[in-house]
Amino acid sequence: MSTPLFVRSVSLKVRLTLALSLAFLLIFLDHRLDAMQPVRLFLNSLVSPVQYLAVVPEQALDNFISQVQSRRALVNENELLKQEMLDLQGRMQRYEFLMLENERLRTLLASDSRDDRLRMVAEVIAVDSDPFSHQVVVNKGTRHGVYIGQPVIDANGVIGQVVSVGVTTARIILISDQSHAIPTRSAESEIRVIVQGVGSTEFLELMHVPHSTELQEGDLLLSSGLGGVFPEGYPVARIHSLVRDESLPFARVRATPVANLDRIRMLLLLWDAESDQQPIRPEQEETE
Amino acid sequence: MILSRMMVQRSVILGTVILSLIFAVMPITLTLAAWRPEWPLLAIIYWIIALPHRVNIGYAFLVGLAVDILLGSTLGFHAAAYAVVVYPAARHYPRIRNFSLSQQAILVLLLVLLARAIVFVLEHYLNNAPFMPHYFWPALSSALFWPWVFLIFRKIRRHFQMK
Repeated sequence: MSTPLFVRSVSLKVRLTLALSLAFLLIFLDHRLDAMQPVRLFLNSLVSPVQYLAVVPEQALDNFISQVQSRRALVNENELLKQEMLDLQGRMQRYEFLMLENERLRTLLASDSRDDRLRMVAEVIAVDSDPFSHQVVVNKGTRHGVYIGQPVIDANGVIGQVVSVGVTTARIILISDQSHAIPTRSAESEIRVIVQGVGSTEFLELMHVPHSTELQEGDLLLSSGLGGVFPEGYPVARIHSLVRDESLPFARVRATPVANLDRIRMLLLLWDAESDQQPIRPEQEETE
Repeated sequence: MILSRMMVQRSVILGTVILSLIFAVMPITLTLAAWRPEWPLLAIIYWIIALPHRVNIGYAFLVGLAVDILLGSTLGFHAAAYAVVVYPAARHYPRIRNFSLSQQAILVLLLVLLARAIVFVLEHYLNNAPFMPHYFWPALSSALFWPWVFLIFRKIRRHFQMK
């Protein structure tokens, strides 16, 4: 079979015009009208095999490393983990006591008691290489009860929230994404401030801080719970620089995220115990 | 017979493209990720030069769309960029085939740079993205990896006798 000399049935320019108009239609639908949300569920599920395949080498490497780890290293690690566990259990006793006390005090004040939150561990299966979107994909989806807008934390602090879900995957926008902002409150001075991502995992920016602010370097910022997305009291970031340049309308304040945004492996999805959205733990997976 | 050969060709092209997408989202450390070559675009450019009657602007559009979904960017950004960028390659494929590898690498550098510039402009005007110089570094790494991509892909193409 010889290659035909004139292979193009439709001219290239027509193809390009078609492709571009389709692309702009998509951009319009997705960006202006936000009409693609239901389709995204389907699309995310469609590409999830690629994401699952992408982590196979890393998981294989991890497996290999844990296989060849020496007995001594394992014993050491075990020892370390036991100590850590003991430490945490000690703190847990204290926490339980404080929680009971808090509840008693709250009933004395006749205010609502706070419910515990339900958690589920999720593993990151893909990290976006695009600096314009700081997002990660985790291996939990609608099958596990994940919903859009769900808060996500790690061992240290707030990571971000769920922006879209597939059946077995969910996409999480990090607090460092340029389109993400989170309401916080300083643990020291109780000042409320909005922390905005700027597209860098190294630092976040604080919005609209007056020059006369009482915020100080080293202040810890906790989620304030005001936006209705993030529960109150989780650490978000710590202020590391505060520049009062009078030529600017606001003070320029930068904060380092408390969570390790650039090396997330495991994270926790949170559910409000009272809301309609509840975690679904597939029974069959455990019995299998 | 001819039909099955076409099927083989299609699946080989699709296989390499899916592999390039996997490479595009594979988790690596952030310092390395800043230099990650634009694998899907490299694959598309190769196939458009080698088999212009199989892979065309529409194919590039679809791969760009897959990249949009995988990266979670607004749908259509990468699709538009890929469609625009492969146009010169599809138009001048006989000439590009006769380029030396280094000349091709320079062309790839320019094409990836253009693709990234288009995505950046869209991000800038629609999503208020700030300018980040390191967003354009992958153009350089893509050009550096191009000769190897080209040789490996040619080997694959010859192995399956794709014309």
